[in-house]
Amino acid sequence: MDALQGLAYGFGVALSGPNLLACFIGVLVGTIVGVLPGIGPIGAMALLIPSTFALGPTTALIMLAGIYYGSMYGGSTTTILINVPGEAASVVTAIDGYQMAKKGRAGAALAVSAVGSFVAGTLGIVALMFFAPPLAELALEFGPPEYFALTLVGLILLSRLGGGSVFKSFLMVGLGLLLGTVGMEPISGLPRFTFGQLELGQGVELVPVAMGLYGIGEVLMIVERITGIPQMIKVKFRELFPTVAEWKRAFPPMLRGGGVGFLIGLIPGPAAILSTFASYALEKKISKHPEEFGKGAIEGVAGPESANNSATAGAMVPLLALGVPFAPATAMLLGALVIHGVQPGPLLMTQQPEIFWGVVASMYIGNVVLLILNLPLVGVFASILRLPQHLLMGLILLLCLVGTYSVNNSLLDLYILIGMGGVGYFLRKLKFDMAPLILALVLGPMLEKTLRQSLFMMRGDVWAICVRPIAGTLLLIALLSIVLPPVIHLIKRK
Amino acid sequence: MIRALPIVSFCFLVLGGVYLAGSLELPMGSAARPGAGLYPFLVGITLVALSAPLFIRSLRLKETQQEKTEPFPRGKDRQRVMAVAATLFFFVVLLKPLGYIICSIALMGAILRLLGLRSWGKVVLTSIFTTAISYYLFFSILGVPLPPGIFSF
Repeated sequence: MDALQGLAYGFGVALSGPNLLACFIGVLVGTIVGVLPGIGPIGAMALLIPSTFALGPTTALIMLAGIYYGSMYGGSTTTILINVPGEAASVVTAIDGYQMAKKGRAGAALAVSAVGSFVAGTLGIVALMFFAPPLAELALEFGPPEYFALTLVGLILLSRLGGGSVFKSFLMVGLGLLLGTVGMEPISGLPRFTFGQLELGQGVELVPVAMGLYGIGEVLMIVERITGIPQMIKVKFRELFPTVAEWKRAFPPMLRGGGVGFLIGLIPGPAAILSTFASYALEKKISKHPEEFGKGAIEGVAGPESANNSATAGAMVPLLALGVPFAPATAMLLGALVIHGVQPGPLLMTQQPEIFWGVVASMYIGNVVLLILNLPLVGVFASILRLPQHLLMGLILLLCLVGTYSVNNSLLDLYILIGMGGVGYFLRKLKFDMAPLILALVLGPMLEKTLRQSLFMMRGDVWAICVRPIAGTLLLIALLSIVLPPVIHLIKRK
Repeated sequence: MIRALPIVSFCFLVLGGVYLAGSLELPMGSAARPGAGLYPFLVGITLVALSAPLFIRSLRLKETQQEKTEPFPRGKDRQRVMAVAATLFFFVVLLKPLGYIICSIALMGAILRLLGLRSWGKVVLTSIFTTAISYYLFFSILGVPLPPGIFSF
């Protein structure tokens, strides 16, 4: 199937009643959690995974993906209006977005970020559509050693690029891998680290861990400093139209942001967040008026807000083409696919084309819906913030508890949930990054399986793995990314 | 002030050590036929190798040289965080014996009070209302068997 045929087929899938509704619900929830500080796309995806059990895998993935890219739209709203980033991926927007709002250009900033999100998001999907199938074809040649190397590189690069202390990030990877080994061992069925608990034989599930770290952990952080309702800048509908001069300045950054975002999305790491920083730095560097940045430069809003949307499309490439997620949000999507009994990998596109093309087509539709939701209706979503904090936090906590319970009807999952909530709170305070843990928990079993298969294949000869061209190159990248930075640091100091 | 980083990295070290010891009890197999213990063994070694230097470094550095960490809350703020955490814990402990309805009303009531809703009337009404909606949504529509507790006649 070539791209256009595939897309036509995909629209057939995505435009069916249940899928269209799922897409709408997904982007709506995405916008809402984007607006709300305290719960982000990962917590929301964990929350909604249980409710997708009754749906087919395509419908489930359409809805969960909608939350992911939808939250990138919503995140800018609160950033611009009250200087509180709804998502980490909107932190950069706060620099110039809030300044624009203070100058009375809040409407223009909102419009530019919504349109930029739409333009770059759509470009990103086009790139995803042309990029993923050839990559999947290439990956058909991959054996266990290649997958082992790929997974390992993913984990290492994520820890390297996430910012903050590398030691801490690697420790989080270690903790995630550790949690991934609890339960029945996949090959011989031997229970490992279950302490005789039958329930633990199922393993530590993704939903309670993600919901604990990202839902409860975040709420505890907010509870610490509970404040009143923030003052919001009011925007009239009339003001939503940027001037011609503003459009002219904003359009090129949207396209550049879209390009930068997609490329960064392909690399393992918190793609959406990194892409905003990269795009902001780029715009500032090539701008003729770098002094305006930080004082309300429209390029500083248009670039990053576009970049984070195309980054979400880029991050879908390794998931859909290789079956290996490189970002925490796509790890959640993988978790959902596995729960639905879908085997992700390079064969997904040919064996279950309705999933790949259906999701791609739904992303086009979702972006149009998001543009409508986030332009004329931006005020409606901003008013969610007028809900009192105590009610919001109470509801989020209750949803986390009931949502987790509904997955397996298991009390053990609830203990894991609140335990992880506590862990998330403490580690967040100490500036540990949660993303490597989630990714390692999802990738851990894959890492073990491919390692053991590779060793078995090569009759225990580790060197034979390293001399395979693709696996060897990937392992070399992994090694260099660990060794090079400290070496460069040492040389620079001398 | 208690320094948290040494404690946390020490916890990681102990966790890694215990886990490593546990992995040694699993069948290791050979390089060509790796057993169930090989991979946990590698993970355990990684954990210990990472947390040991972090622990040593966190002990050596003075408070001012520590990498940026956020201070833990004190006084009322700390009490509030701990009270919310305790509420969550009791919800889970009491869920089976008392049932969802009572636990959910109590949880919402406690959270609303803790986070500053003054009026008792509003607290009671809001907790009953949110419980009713969540019960309807999860039990009646999604069919989740929420524990009935003392309402099981």
